[in-house]
Amino acid sequence: MTPSQAPDIKVPYSYLKEQFDDPEPILNAFRDQLERCDFTFGRELVEFEQKMAKYAGAKYAAGTSSGTMALTMLLRAVGVGPGDEVITVSQTFVATIGAIASIYARPFFVDVTDDYTMNPNLIEQAITEKTRAIMPVHYSGQPAQMEKIMEIADRHKLPVIEDACCAISAKINGKHVGTFGKGGAFSVHPLKNLNVWGDGGFIITDDKEVYDRIILLRNHGLKNRDEVELYGYNARLDTIQAIVGNYLYDQIDDITNKRIANAKNYDSGLSAPELSQFITLPPRRTGERHVYHMYMFLAEHRDTLLNYLIHREIEAKIHYPIPMHLQQASLEQTVPFGKTDLSRTEEQCKQIITLPVHQHLSKEQINYVITSIKEFYGNKLWK
Amino acid sequence: MEVKYLDLQAQFENNPALKSILDNIFSSCQFVLGPELEVFEYNFAKLCGVPYAVGVDNGTNALFLALKVSGVQKEHEVITAPNSFLATAGAIVQAGAFPRMVDVTEDYNIDPDKIERAINRKTRAIVPVHLTGNPARMDEINNIAQRHDLAVIEDACQAIDASIGNAKTGSLGDLGAFSLHPLKNLNTCGDGGMITTKSRKYYDELLLMRNHGLMNRNEAKFFAYNYRLDTLKAAVANMQIEGISAITDIRNKHANCYDEGLRGIPEVTIPERRVGVRRAFHTYVIQVERRDELIEYLRKNGVETKIHYPIPIHLMEASRRFGYKKGDFPVAERQSERIISLPIHQHLRTDQIDHVIESIRSFEKL
Repeated sequence: MTPSQAPDIKVPYSYLKEQFDDPEPILNAFRDQLERCDFTFGRELVEFEQKMAKYAGAKYAAGTSSGTMALTMLLRAVGVGPGDEVITVSQTFVATIGAIASIYARPFFVDVTDDYTMNPNLIEQAITEKTRAIMPVHYSGQPAQMEKIMEIADRHKLPVIEDACCAISAKINGKHVGTFGKGGAFSVHPLKNLNVWGDGGFIITDDKEVYDRIILLRNHGLKNRDEVELYGYNARLDTIQAIVGNYLYDQIDDITNKRIANAKNYDSGLSAPELSQFITLPPRRTGERHVYHMYMFLAEHRDTLLNYLIHREIEAKIHYPIPMHLQQASLEQTVPFGKTDLSRTEEQCKQIITLPVHQHLSKEQINYVITSIKEFYGNKLWK
Repeated sequence: MEVKYLDLQAQFENNPALKSILDNIFSSCQFVLGPELEVFEYNFAKLCGVPYAVGVDNGTNALFLALKVSGVQKEHEVITAPNSFLATAGAIVQAGAFPRMVDVTEDYNIDPDKIERAINRKTRAIVPVHLTGNPARMDEINNIAQRHDLAVIEDACQAIDASIGNAKTGSLGDLGAFSLHPLKNLNTCGDGGMITTKSRKYYDELLLMRNHGLMNRNEAKFFAYNYRLDTLKAAVANMQIEGISAITDIRNKHANCYDEGLRGIPEVTIPERRVGVRRAFHTYVIQVERRDELIEYLRKNGVETKIHYPIPIHLMEASRRFGYKKGDFPVAERQSERIISLPIHQHLRTDQIDHVIESIRSFEKL
């Protein structure tokens, strides 16, 4: 690879400094809250929950300490317990599997399709007598094929938990993800499209029983100050984080639309005929709102492309090079985790690459990324 | 006169230090596992006199991770006290183990003389609780643990800055678990917790356990949890760590005032003191006969009190499956009907404490 001259433009993946360039309005809201000092279960948390339920079109929302704990508690709320199997994907962040493992249940991995989400056609062969739930992941912000998944789940009377940690605002024919199954888990981690100043998450559900259970589980199982109905967790969303969430709530649509616009620009740039033998974009289905938490595609010579982009000060990433079933954590299980053939997941992990797509990117920066990729392949820079 | 149980406003309002902390955080925007967390961990370890401290998202998970890292799992039993906040048992249950309760003594802490008969082949650890900020009898507990090869995890969630001799809580067992909840002596602006340990092996493992088991960005050694302490909350706690010893001193001074004022009232039992022990009064708990009447009387006199806690853990609905019944732990049960916590926070004035004492005196004369 021939290093070209030093770039005059940078494309960082992270954008938090730009986003919180002026934290004053949020800090002012903090000051209001400091007058009350209700750091746990303050009124801003209730406000945040009402906003999120309304936004997603769900009956209930409950704040949690993280997306991981949102998943964990949803699994428990639908009755998944030790030794039970949960059908999910290996193409995900480690927390999806961590949530399952943390309640002593076991993942059963099924392969994905070209959109990097669960292949519904493989679910039925993964169902065993121990299967207690199906957990598709709306990976990268791309909705999984929920209609097909729900049809199979309903036939087998299995609850569906949606891992929507990457997918706030994602929809299928106008219906928000997280509302197809029994419940949806969301993350508001600083790197998420809707983000707060630390770890955080929430669940949504239409099911009163599931909601009531989560409310108990996240606060030690306490019915009131002195009485415990069941042993749970301390997995509350802090009031101060809810304040940040409330402030950003009004921006969710703008943030998402900007990311979608950025992705469209990438799509058209990367669909150039000269790139077709090197780059495979995932299918874009009509009726789906992909919210581009990550803009991903498959690239030939991926690792050299990554190095080249980084050399050009374009902060590309790989989410992730090692699928969950090939992690040391999976390989060292005394009883191996269940899985279908996962060859597509494995192939994708070798080729997948993520470009910066955040809302603070300019058209110029996106064009620079596209040009750089064209230059890489046009000049055969992997050699 | 109004005597609030707690005064967080006095602590946080118009605090100039808070502003500079926030400014620093926004210069880096590392909200997760940022540099302020490491600074706080360093200072916390130093405070407790141990080489390592790990920030986690709350005291419950501090206990839980301490149990996990010391090898507690399904089928194991963990010995603890029934009069703690229920999170102590909750952490044991979360680890898949059975909470084996042992009764307490008049100091509200586990009775070392009763521990050995509760040990069986499934027992893996002892979790003494330093309830109210009073260190449990760690020498005896550690001896028993050593004899039976058990891990000792201090539930120090109420006991920052207490000590036995020169050894601080958090350094008295294999691991210590602390809470930074807003109501704690060293607190932050939301849930938070810390684990202390002298073991490098435990420390390395805990760093993975709190962060999904990730050895690096891409590789998980084992599947684990997201139990991190936010940078923001670490920075707010760090702002106060220098002052913790002064806070403890003020609370202890308040306790001495209460001791003096209440000693000699026949119906009131004041907290026991042990020579060589520095308590760090998180709660000031007395016992009285007509407890509920006294609470009501104090309330009418503007004094806010609490009960920590009215229902022992073994008698809670959630514990039904463990097979405990009323009468199993008579000391803890009797205390739960008699205890009352008086305001003891560092923002109390002497005249407020006098008012509380006078109110109790006048109640006892009724």
